[in-house]
Amino acid sequence: MEIEVTGAKILLELPLGITITETQVNMWIVMAAITAVCIWLTHDLKVRPTSKRQIVAEYIVKTAENFVTSNMGAKWKWFVPYIAALFSLAAFCSLSSLLGMYPPTSDLNTTAGWAIMTFIMITFYKIKTNGPLGYAKGLTEPIFIMTPMNILGEFATPLSMAFRMFGNVASGTVVSALVYAALAVANNALFGWLPGILGEMGEKLPILQLGLPAILSLYFDVFSGVLQAFIFCMLTMLYIASAAEKE
Amino acid sequence: MIIMAGTLDFLSVNVWHILMAIGNLLILVLILKKFLFKPVQNILRQREEEIGKTYSDADKALSEANAEKELYLKKLDDAKQEADNLIKSANERAKAESAEIISDANREAERRRRHADEDIELARKKAAAEMRDAVSEMVIDLAEQVVGKEIDSKAHAELIDDAIESLGE
Repeated sequence: MEIEVTGAKILLELPLGITITETQVNMWIVMAAITAVCIWLTHDLKVRPTSKRQIVAEYIVKTAENFVTSNMGAKWKWFVPYIAALFSLAAFCSLSSLLGMYPPTSDLNTTAGWAIMTFIMITFYKIKTNGPLGYAKGLTEPIFIMTPMNILGEFATPLSMAFRMFGNVASGTVVSALVYAALAVANNALFGWLPGILGEMGEKLPILQLGLPAILSLYFDVFSGVLQAFIFCMLTMLYIASAAEKE
Repeated sequence: MIIMAGTLDFLSVNVWHILMAIGNLLILVLILKKFLFKPVQNILRQREEEIGKTYSDADKALSEANAEKELYLKKLDDAKQEADNLIKSANERAKAESAEIISDANREAERRRRHADEDIELARKKAAAEMRDAVSEMVIDLAEQVVGKEIDSKAHAELIDDAIESLGE
Protein backbone atom coordinates (compact mmCIF):
# COMPACT_ATOMS: atom_id res chain seq x y z
CA MET A 1 0.00 0.00 0.00
CA GLU A 2 1.28 3.40 -0.94
CA ILE A 3 0.52 6.61 0.85
CA GLU A 4 1.16 9.88 -0.95
CA VAL A 5 1.20 13.25 0.77
CA THR A 6 1.34 16.19 -1.59
CA GLY A 7 1.09 19.96 -1.43
CA ALA A 8 -1.63 22.18 -2.78
CA LYS A 9 -3.32 21.41 -6.08
CA ILE A 10 -2.40 23.83 -8.85
CA LEU A 11 -5.61 25.30 -10.18
CA LEU A 12 -4.44 27.96 -12.61
CA GLU A 13 -1.20 28.77 -14.38
CA LEU A 14 -0.60 32.36 -15.41
CA PRO A 15 2.26 33.90 -17.38
CA LEU A 16 5.59 34.68 -15.67
CA GLY A 17 5.39 31.37 -13.87
CA ILE A 18 2.70 32.56 -11.53
CA THR A 19 0.48 29.76 -10.36
CA ILE A 20 -2.72 29.90 -8.41
CA THR A 21 -3.12 26.94 -6.13
CA GLU A 22 -5.56 25.77 -3.53
CA THR A 23 -3.52 27.72 -0.99
CA GLN A 24 -4.35 31.07 -2.55
CA VAL A 25 -7.95 30.26 -3.36
CA ASN A 26 -8.67 28.88 0.08
CA MET A 27 -7.00 31.88 1.69
CA TRP A 28 -9.19 34.19 -0.35
CA ILE A 29 -12.23 32.22 0.73
CA VAL A 30 -11.16 32.59 4.36
CA MET A 31 -10.52 36.31 3.87
CA ALA A 32 -13.90 36.75 2.26
CA ALA A 33 -15.53 34.93 5.16
CA ILE A 34 -13.70 37.09 7.72
CA THR A 35 -14.69 40.23 5.81
CA ALA A 36 -18.31 39.12 5.66
CA VAL A 37 -18.35 38.42 9.39
CA CYS A 38 -16.79 41.82 10.14
CA ILE A 39 -19.31 43.65 7.96
CA TRP A 40 -22.16 41.71 9.52
CA LEU A 41 -20.88 42.41 13.05
CA THR A 42 -20.34 46.12 12.56
CA HIS A 43 -23.32 47.19 10.48
CA ASP A 44 -25.81 49.36 12.27
CA LEU A 45 -23.72 50.10 15.36
CA LYS A 46 -25.31 52.25 18.03
CA VAL A 47 -23.87 54.39 20.80
CA ARG A 48 -26.20 52.55 23.15
CA PRO A 49 -25.87 48.95 21.99
CA THR A 50 -29.08 47.04 21.50
CA SER A 51 -27.79 43.94 19.71
CA LYS A 52 -25.62 41.04 20.75
CA ARG A 53 -23.79 41.47 17.47
CA GLN A 54 -22.43 44.82 18.57
CA ILE A 55 -21.39 43.50 21.95
CA VAL A 56 -19.47 40.70 20.23
CA ALA A 57 -17.83 43.18 17.86
CA GLU A 58 -16.81 45.45 20.73
CA TYR A 59 -15.57 42.46 22.70
CA ILE A 60 -13.38 41.33 19.78
CA VAL A 61 -11.91 44.79 19.31
CA LYS A 62 -11.24 45.27 23.01
CA THR A 63 -9.73 41.81 23.37
CA ALA A 64 -7.42 42.43 20.39
CA GLU A 65 -6.37 45.83 21.77
CA ASN A 66 -5.79 44.36 25.19
CA PHE A 67 -3.83 41.43 23.70
CA VAL A 68 -1.46 43.75 21.85
CA THR A 69 -1.05 46.52 24.41
CA SER A 70 -0.49 44.11 27.30
CA ASN A 71 2.34 42.46 25.37
CA MET A 72 3.85 45.45 23.61
CA GLY A 73 2.76 48.54 25.53
CA ALA A 74 0.17 51.23 24.90
CA LYS A 75 2.14 53.03 22.19
CA TRP A 76 1.71 50.02 19.88
CA LYS A 77 -2.05 50.45 19.58
CA TRP A 78 -1.74 51.13 15.86
CA PHE A 79 -0.33 47.60 15.51
CA VAL A 80 -3.58 45.97 16.66
CA PRO A 81 -5.13 45.48 13.19
CA TYR A 82 -2.00 43.72 11.94
CA ILE A 83 -1.99 41.23 14.81
CA ALA A 84 -5.75 40.77 14.54
CA ALA A 85 -5.43 40.07 10.81
CA LEU A 86 -2.50 37.72 11.35
CA PHE A 87 -4.27 35.79 14.08
CA SER A 88 -7.62 35.52 12.35
CA LEU A 89 -6.07 34.56 9.02
CA ALA A 90 -3.75 31.93 10.55
CA ALA A 91 -6.41 30.46 12.82
CA PHE A 92 -9.18 30.31 10.24
CA CYS A 93 -6.85 29.00 7.53
CA SER A 94 -5.95 26.12 9.84
CA LEU A 95 -9.59 25.62 10.82
CA SER A 96 -10.65 25.53 7.17
CA SER A 97 -9.38 21.96 7.03
CA LEU A 98 -12.40 21.07 9.19
CA LEU A 99 -14.50 21.76 6.10
CA GLY A 100 -12.34 19.40 4.07
CA MET A 101 -10.45 22.27 2.46
CA TYR A 102 -6.71 22.28 1.97
CA PRO A 103 -5.45 24.46 4.86
CA PRO A 104 -3.33 27.33 3.44
CA THR A 105 -1.15 27.24 6.55
CA SER A 106 0.09 23.79 5.61
CA ASP A 107 1.82 25.46 2.64
CA LEU A 108 5.31 26.59 3.61
CA ASN A 109 5.03 29.61 1.30
CA THR A 110 2.19 31.03 3.38
CA THR A 111 3.89 30.76 6.74
CA ALA A 112 7.19 31.87 5.18
CA GLY A 113 5.53 34.99 3.82
CA TRP A 114 4.14 35.93 7.23
CA ALA A 115 7.44 35.15 8.94
CA ILE A 116 9.26 37.35 6.41
CA MET A 117 6.89 40.20 7.31
CA THR A 118 7.82 39.72 10.94
CA PHE A 119 11.51 39.61 10.03
CA ILE A 120 11.24 42.82 7.99
CA MET A 121 9.58 44.62 10.88
CA ILE A 122 12.07 43.30 13.44
CA THR A 123 14.99 44.48 11.31
CA PHE A 124 13.29 47.79 10.54
CA TYR A 125 12.77 48.56 14.22
CA LYS A 126 16.27 47.43 15.16
CA ILE A 127 17.75 49.80 12.58
CA LYS A 128 15.33 52.57 13.49
CA THR A 129 16.11 52.31 17.20
CA ASN A 130 19.88 51.85 17.07
CA GLY A 131 20.69 53.45 13.72
CA PRO A 132 22.24 51.51 10.81
CA LEU A 133 25.69 51.62 12.43
CA GLY A 134 24.37 50.55 15.78
CA TYR A 135 22.54 47.66 14.12
CA ALA A 136 25.71 46.57 12.28
CA LYS A 137 27.72 46.96 15.45
CA GLY A 138 25.23 44.89 17.36
CA LEU A 139 25.92 41.98 15.02
CA THR A 140 29.61 41.96 15.96
CA GLU A 141 28.96 41.64 19.67
CA PRO A 142 30.14 40.32 22.03
CA ILE A 143 33.25 39.63 19.90
CA PHE A 144 33.93 40.04 16.21
CA ILE A 145 34.21 36.30 15.57
CA MET A 146 30.53 35.92 16.48
CA THR A 147 29.34 37.97 13.48
CA PRO A 148 28.43 35.02 11.23
CA MET A 149 26.62 33.39 14.10
CA ASN A 150 24.69 36.56 14.81
CA ILE A 151 23.68 36.95 11.16
CA LEU A 152 22.58 33.35 11.14
CA GLY A 153 20.64 34.04 14.31
CA GLU A 154 18.80 36.93 12.67
CA PHE A 155 17.56 34.63 9.91
CA ALA A 156 16.87 31.79 12.30
CA THR A 157 14.00 33.73 13.86
CA PRO A 158 11.71 33.92 10.78
CA LEU A 159 12.84 30.51 9.61
CA SER A 160 11.89 28.85 12.86
CA MET A 161 8.58 30.70 12.97
CA ALA A 162 7.69 29.69 9.41
CA PHE A 163 8.62 26.06 9.94
CA ARG A 164 6.95 25.84 13.31
CA MET A 165 3.53 26.75 12.01
CA PHE A 166 3.94 24.91 8.71
CA GLY A 167 5.23 21.82 10.49
CA ASN A 168 2.40 21.72 12.98
CA VAL A 169 -0.39 22.11 10.47
CA ALA A 170 1.18 19.98 7.72
CA SER A 171 2.15 17.23 10.13
CA GLY A 172 -1.45 17.10 11.21
CA THR A 173 -2.39 16.33 7.63
CA VAL A 174 0.37 13.72 7.36
CA VAL A 175 -0.52 12.02 10.62
CA SER A 176 -4.19 12.02 9.69
CA ALA A 177 -3.40 10.42 6.31
CA LEU A 178 -1.16 7.82 7.95
CA VAL A 179 -3.72 6.94 10.60
CA TYR A 180 -6.45 6.76 8.02
CA ALA A 181 -4.41 4.43 5.85
CA ALA A 182 -3.44 2.29 8.81
CA LEU A 183 -7.06 2.05 9.87
CA ALA A 184 -8.02 1.01 6.36
CA VAL A 185 -5.46 -1.81 6.49
CA ALA A 186 -6.72 -2.85 9.92
CA ASN A 187 -10.29 -2.72 8.62
CA ASN A 188 -9.46 -5.02 5.77
CA ALA A 189 -7.64 -7.42 8.03
CA LEU A 190 -10.54 -7.47 10.47
CA PHE A 191 -13.48 -7.84 8.10
CA GLY A 192 -11.84 -9.01 4.82
CA TRP A 193 -11.70 -12.68 5.81
CA LEU A 194 -15.47 -12.89 6.16
CA PRO A 195 -16.86 -15.21 3.50
CA GLY A 196 -18.61 -14.13 0.34
CA ILE A 197 -20.44 -10.85 0.13
CA LEU A 198 -19.89 -10.06 3.79
CA GLY A 199 -16.13 -9.93 3.17
CA GLU A 200 -16.50 -7.58 0.22
CA MET A 201 -18.78 -5.31 2.21
CA GLY A 202 -16.45 -5.43 5.20
CA GLU A 203 -13.56 -4.32 3.04
CA LYS A 204 -15.48 -1.47 1.52
CA LEU A 205 -17.22 -0.12 4.63
CA PRO A 206 -14.81 2.12 6.59
CA ILE A 207 -15.94 0.91 9.98
CA LEU A 208 -12.72 1.39 11.94
CA GLN A 209 -12.09 4.74 10.28
CA LEU A 210 -15.12 6.26 12.03
CA GLY A 211 -13.93 7.54 15.39
CA LEU A 212 -10.23 8.12 15.71
CA PRO A 213 -9.64 10.45 12.71
CA ALA A 214 -12.30 12.80 14.04
CA ILE A 215 -10.53 13.06 17.40
CA LEU A 216 -7.18 13.58 15.69
CA SER A 217 -8.70 16.27 13.52
CA LEU A 218 -10.06 17.95 16.63
CA TYR A 219 -6.54 18.10 18.02
CA PHE A 220 -4.58 18.97 14.87
CA ASP A 221 -7.05 21.34 13.29
CA VAL A 222 -8.80 23.03 16.17
CA PHE A 223 -6.38 22.97 19.07
CA SER A 224 -3.04 22.95 17.28
CA GLY A 225 -4.18 25.33 14.55
CA VAL A 226 -5.43 28.00 16.95
CA LEU A 227 -2.48 27.47 19.28
CA GLN A 228 0.03 27.93 16.46
CA ALA A 229 -1.74 31.10 15.30
CA PHE A 230 -1.54 32.39 18.87
CA ILE A 231 2.17 31.49 19.16
CA PHE A 232 2.95 33.12 15.83
CA CYS A 233 1.27 36.37 16.91
CA MET A 234 2.88 36.24 20.34
CA LEU A 235 6.38 35.78 18.89
CA THR A 236 5.81 38.52 16.32
CA MET A 237 4.74 40.97 19.04
CA LEU A 238 7.53 40.08 21.46
CA TYR A 239 10.29 40.18 18.81
CA ILE A 240 9.12 43.50 17.38
CA ALA A 241 8.57 45.11 20.77
CA SER A 242 12.01 44.06 21.97
CA ALA A 243 13.55 45.20 18.67
CA ALA A 244 12.08 48.66 19.21
CA GLU A 245 13.48 48.92 22.73
CA LYS A 246 16.77 50.68 23.33
CA GLU A 247 19.35 48.41 24.82
CA MET B 1 -3.67 31.31 -19.23
CA ILE B 2 -3.78 27.59 -18.85
CA ILE B 3 -5.90 25.69 -16.44
CA MET B 4 -3.77 22.86 -15.28
CA ALA B 5 -4.18 19.91 -13.06
CA GLY B 6 -1.25 18.98 -10.87
CA THR B 7 0.04 19.40 -7.39
CA LEU B 8 2.90 21.14 -5.70
CA ASP B 9 5.40 19.11 -3.77
CA PHE B 10 4.75 18.74 -0.07
CA LEU B 11 7.64 21.12 0.58
CA SER B 12 7.98 23.70 -2.16
CA VAL B 13 9.13 27.29 -2.25
CA ASN B 14 7.59 29.72 -4.66
CA VAL B 15 8.39 33.42 -4.48
CA TRP B 16 5.05 34.42 -5.98
CA HIS B 17 3.18 32.43 -3.40
CA ILE B 18 5.23 34.01 -0.63
CA LEU B 19 4.44 37.47 -2.02
CA MET B 20 0.77 36.58 -2.33
CA ALA B 21 0.69 35.39 1.28
CA ILE B 22 2.17 38.72 2.38
CA GLY B 23 -0.20 40.63 0.13
CA ASN B 24 -3.22 38.72 1.40
CA LEU B 25 -2.20 39.43 4.99
CA LEU B 26 -1.79 43.16 4.30
CA ILE B 27 -5.12 43.29 2.46
CA LEU B 28 -6.80 41.64 5.44
CA VAL B 29 -5.18 44.23 7.71
CA LEU B 30 -6.83 46.98 5.67
CA ILE B 31 -10.13 45.12 5.61
CA LEU B 32 -10.14 44.63 9.38
CA LYS B 33 -9.19 48.26 9.89
CA LYS B 34 -11.98 49.50 7.68
CA PHE B 35 -14.76 47.08 8.57
CA LEU B 36 -14.05 46.16 12.20
CA PHE B 37 -11.72 48.51 14.07
CA LYS B 38 -12.71 51.89 12.63
CA PRO B 39 -16.47 51.51 13.13
CA VAL B 40 -16.16 49.97 16.59
CA GLN B 41 -13.59 52.50 17.75
CA ASN B 42 -15.75 55.31 16.39
CA ILE B 43 -18.73 54.06 18.32
CA LEU B 44 -16.61 53.63 21.47
CA ARG B 45 -15.34 57.20 21.14
CA GLN B 46 -18.85 58.51 20.63
CA ARG B 47 -19.98 56.61 23.70
CA GLU B 48 -17.13 58.05 25.72
CA GLU B 49 -18.08 61.56 24.60
CA GLU B 50 -21.70 60.93 25.45
CA ILE B 51 -20.78 59.66 28.90
CA GLY B 52 -18.52 62.64 29.46
CA LYS B 53 -21.33 64.95 28.39
CA THR B 54 -23.75 63.18 30.70
CA TYR B 55 -21.35 63.58 33.61
CA SER B 56 -20.75 67.27 32.95
CA ASP B 57 -24.49 67.82 32.53
CA ALA B 58 -25.12 66.08 35.82
CA ASP B 59 -22.44 68.18 37.52
CA LYS B 60 -23.96 71.34 36.08
CA ALA B 61 -27.44 70.34 37.14
CA LEU B 62 -26.17 69.54 40.63
CA SER B 63 -24.42 72.88 41.03
CA GLU B 64 -27.52 74.66 39.75
CA ALA B 65 -29.68 72.75 42.17
CA ASN B 66 -27.30 73.63 45.00
CA ALA B 67 -27.39 77.30 44.05
CA GLU B 68 -31.18 77.23 43.99
CA LYS B 69 -31.22 75.46 47.33
CA GLU B 70 -29.07 78.22 48.79
CA LEU B 71 -31.43 80.76 47.34
CA TYR B 72 -34.48 79.07 48.79
CA LEU B 73 -32.83 78.68 52.19
CA LYS B 74 -32.03 82.37 52.17
CA LYS B 75 -35.59 83.19 51.15
CA LEU B 76 -36.89 80.93 53.88
CA ASP B 77 -34.67 82.71 56.41
CA ASP B 78 -35.89 86.06 55.19
CA ALA B 79 -39.48 84.92 55.46
CA LYS B 80 -38.92 83.69 58.98
CA GLN B 81 -37.32 87.00 59.91
CA GLU B 82 -40.24 88.87 58.47
CA ALA B 83 -42.76 86.69 60.25
CA ASP B 84 -40.88 87.26 63.50
CA ASN B 85 -40.91 90.96 62.88
CA LEU B 86 -44.59 90.91 62.07
CA ILE B 87 -45.41 88.99 65.22
CA LYS B 88 -43.23 91.24 67.32
CA SER B 89 -44.72 94.44 65.98
CA ALA B 90 -48.21 93.02 66.28
CA ASN B 91 -47.46 92.10 69.86
CA GLU B 92 -46.16 95.55 70.56
CA ARG B 93 -49.14 97.17 68.96
CA ALA B 94 -51.50 94.91 70.85
CA LYS B 95 -49.74 95.73 74.10
CA ALA B 96 -49.91 99.41 73.38
CA GLU B 97 -53.55 99.19 72.45
CA SER B 98 -54.45 97.19 75.49
CA ALA B 99 -52.63 99.66 77.68
CA GLU B 100 -54.51 102.48 76.05
CA ILE B 101 -57.82 100.66 76.42
CA ILE B 102 -57.11 100.01 80.09
CA SER B 103 -56.13 103.58 80.74
CA ASP B 104 -59.20 104.78 78.82
CA ALA B 105 -61.34 102.50 80.87
CA ASN B 106 -59.70 103.72 84.04
CA ARG B 107 -60.21 107.29 83.04
CA GLU B 108 -63.81 106.64 82.16
CA ALA B 109 -64.40 104.87 85.42
CA GLU B 110 -62.78 107.73 87.25
CA ARG B 111 -64.91 110.21 85.41
CA ARG B 112 -68.05 108.25 86.14
CA ARG B 113 -67.17 107.89 89.78
CA ARG B 114 -66.58 111.57 90.06
CA HIS B 115 -69.85 112.25 88.33
CA ALA B 116 -71.66 109.94 90.69
CA ASP B 117 -70.03 111.64 93.66
CA GLU B 118 -71.18 114.98 92.42
CA ASP B 119 -74.70 113.62 91.87
CA ILE B 120 -74.74 112.17 95.34
CA GLU B 121 -73.50 115.45 96.79
CA LEU B 122 -76.12 117.34 94.87
CA ALA B 123 -78.85 114.96 95.95
CA ARG B 124 -77.68 115.14 99.52
CA LYS B 125 -77.70 118.92 99.41
CA LYS B 126 -81.10 118.89 97.79
CA ALA B 127 -82.43 116.43 100.35
CA ALA B 128 -80.91 118.51 103.12
CA ALA B 129 -82.54 121.65 101.74
CA GLU B 130 -85.92 119.90 101.41
CA MET B 131 -85.60 118.49 104.83
CA ARG B 132 -84.68 121.87 106.18
CA ASP B 133 -87.75 123.43 104.50
CA ALA B 134 -89.96 120.67 105.75
CA VAL B 135 -88.55 120.95 109.27
CA SER B 136 -88.85 124.69 109.28
CA GLU B 137 -92.51 124.46 108.14
CA MET B 138 -93.12 121.81 110.72
CA VAL B 139 -91.44 123.95 113.38
CA ILE B 140 -93.50 126.93 112.35
CA ASP B 141 -96.68 124.85 112.48
CA LEU B 142 -95.71 123.60 115.87
CA ALA B 143 -94.79 127.02 117.04
CA GLU B 144 -98.12 128.43 115.72
CA GLN B 145 -99.99 125.75 117.51
CA VAL B 146 -97.95 126.41 120.64
CA VAL B 147 -98.11 130.16 120.41
CA GLY B 148 -101.59 130.09 119.10
CA LYS B 149 -101.16 132.54 116.55
CA GLU B 150 -99.86 132.66 113.17
CA ILE B 151 -96.26 133.28 112.88
CA ASP B 152 -95.24 135.29 110.08
CA SER B 153 -93.25 132.64 108.34
CA LYS B 154 -91.51 135.16 106.33
CA ALA B 155 -90.51 137.29 109.22
CA HIS B 156 -89.26 134.38 111.19
CA ALA B 157 -87.93 132.24 108.48
CA GLU B 158 -84.46 133.57 108.97
CA LEU B 159 -84.52 132.82 112.60
CA ILE B 160 -85.80 129.29 112.12
CA ASP B 161 -83.34 128.55 109.46
CA ASP B 162 -80.53 129.52 111.75
CA ALA B 163 -81.93 127.23 114.38
CA ILE B 164 -82.15 124.32 111.98
CA GLU B 165 -78.70 124.99 110.68
CA SER B 166 -77.38 124.68 114.14
CA LEU B 167 -79.41 121.51 114.65
CA GLY B 168 -78.37 119.90 111.45
CA GLU B 169 -74.67 120.12 112.23
